[in-house]
Amino acid sequence: MAGEENTLTAREKELAKGFEAAKDNLRKSDKQVGMVMDLNKCIGCQLCSMACKTLWTNMEGREYMWWNKVNTMPGKGSPKDWEKMGGGYKVKFGGKVMEPIRGKHPTRKEFGDMWTYNWNDVITNKAGEVHLQAKNPDGTTPDWGMNWDEDQATGKYPNSFYFYLPRICNHCAYPACLDACPRNAIYKREEDGAVVIDQDRCKGYRFCLEACPYKVIYFNFIKDVSMKCIFCYPRLEQKVPNACARQCTGRVRWVGFVDDPKSLIYKLVKVWKVALPLHSEYGTQPNVFYIPPLAPPRIGTDGKLDSSKPRIPREYLRFLFGPEVDASLDIMNTELQKVKNGGKSELMEILIAREWTHMFGPYTVDPATLERKPDKKGAYSREDLTSLLENKKI
Amino acid sequence: MEKIICKKTSKSNGELLDSDNAFWKSCAKVKVETTGTPLANQPSPYIKGVYDEKKIGAVKELSVFSVHNTENIFFYFEWSSSNPNREIGDINVFPDGLGVLFPFGAIDQTQIKEMGSKEYPTNSWYWRPDFKEKPKNQVAHGLSTSTYTKKSSVQSHSSWNNKAWRLVMSRPLKVSGKDEETVEFKPGGTIGIGFAVWEGNNGERGGVKAFSKEWRELVLEG
Ligand code: SF4
Ligand code: SF4
Repeated sequence: MAGEENTLTAREKELAKGFEAAKDNLRKSDKQVGMVMDLNKCIGCQLCSMACKTLWTNMEGREYMWWNKVNTMPGKGSPKDWEKMGGGYKVKFGGKVMEPIRGKHPTRKEFGDMWTYNWNDVITNKAGEVHLQAKNPDGTTPDWGMNWDEDQATGKYPNSFYFYLPRICNHCAYPACLDACPRNAIYKREEDGAVVIDQDRCKGYRFCLEACPYKVIYFNFIKDVSMKCIFCYPRLEQKVPNACARQCTGRVRWVGFVDDPKSLIYKLVKVWKVALPLHSEYGTQPNVFYIPPLAPPRIGTDGKLDSSKPRIPREYLRFLFGPEVDASLDIMNTELQKVKNGGKSELMEILIAREWTHMFGPYTVDPATLERKPDKKGAYSREDLTSLLENKKI
Repeated sequence: MEKIICKKTSKSNGELLDSDNAFWKSCAKVKVETTGTPLANQPSPYIKGVYDEKKIGAVKELSVFSVHNTENIFFYFEWSSSNPNREIGDINVFPDGLGVLFPFGAIDQTQIKEMGSKEYPTNSWYWRPDFKEKPKNQVAHGLSTSTYTKKSSVQSHSSWNNKAWRLVMSRPLKVSGKDEETVEFKPGGTIGIGFAVWEGNNGERGGVKAFSKEWRELVLEG
């Protein structure tokens, strides 16, 4: 621990002031973007993960990264058992003191390495002679991955359950990663509050991977830098919503400004108070919020619906989303009932999301309408593709 | 101020850029004490809050020797490291490292503990086993500001045996070009010199390292 206040030299005190001021500055932003994800609607299709992968992480050194991932819950998630890896803060005196908690580095295999398959051997050998096998780059057989415990339920049939938890960086208001970086390479973008890692300043020291309690930062072994979800800020700058949100099959994700009373995000988080941060006790003040899963009712021993207790134990949901989860579920049940009884509910209208383009606040631009030049040799533009298709060349 | 003499030699670049050359074995090295960096100097509230100052700085001593052959300058280092970390094998693995620090300006105006300041910056050469014997050249204007220059003319040769690293770093006495802001060495002249060592096995990287608390004076024989 740092020396007692009175044993610090004048110069050390001056340094400490400077360091704090630098961090305050990096944490500042004029506005704050955020995302709400409705866990009642997520079907675990991973289209969001693939949208992110094809856009951001199919490049050198990023292949094993999943800036967006969808985990089956209750499960160990990715990296494996990330909820037990520490990091974040002990918040004291109403946030006046933020005491950092030591975290552990996830390992490559806990994330799930970039394994390959022996396709060629299978194809070139007689049927049944060689079986399809996955291998990590170091020759070992993979034993964990992004959604390794996919669809593994908890509890006993017919009352077993699982649900999906899509995760990205939470673009926290008090990011532990930002505080941890000795290079001051991590900052909140002034215009939207997205937390980004300056790739030129980062020297790959990985204190951020230690400190982030959500373990959403990855290390690029080839470039020797840390990387994570950038909230698609280059898209936001063009008024295009995040790839994961726009691509979502289930109309699960809303994007917008958390502090704009007109935004649907604001309505869900601040007005209806149904959207909650994941593990708010980690102290980083996430800007990604979840609508907790209601889950279908239990089935009693008599085969009839048993509403005496919920299918998903409340304790578990409180563990994830805090004690506020009770009120959130109550409000949703009440509103749901209203609609069932033929009434109207603003909340249910928002959650149903009849007009999917309304989910993205100010980000209304269709990326296909942007003027873009293919940046890679061999990449086709839409026009190229259409003409190739018309001429039956492909 | 303690002096380190950079002897003049007629030996060739090839002989000298070899950490196992008998020449380095026989020379009378200078011992430099290194200590863990103080938490007060850590720009990261996280490191300040959770790291234990007493555990920082696993390497306690460096043996140093320096020569020049009027064309290139050579630094030889030897230090114990029982488990060498040669590569970043995993997210929780940190490579060993060694840095040599030089003030661009006056020694007594340049803070060694803070890697210089805006007015009095420092130049450093940063070796790591995973840099493939191409150490980086860096400029720093104070804590947390060190940046690699585009180019580096520093070369190295290293070996690890008997639980110790042996390393030679070398560079032409004078290097020019805007892509490599760096110090110049003049036979007959003096320059400040400082050192830092990272024991990867102890999780050391960045400002979490062992360093020489005071400048030495490097005196180049004319
Ligand atoms: S989730 Fe982690 S990486 Fe993202 S802003 Fe918060 S602390 Fe930083
Ligand atoms: S695309 Fe939507 S529905 Fe599919 S896994 Fe992602 S968040 Fe869930």
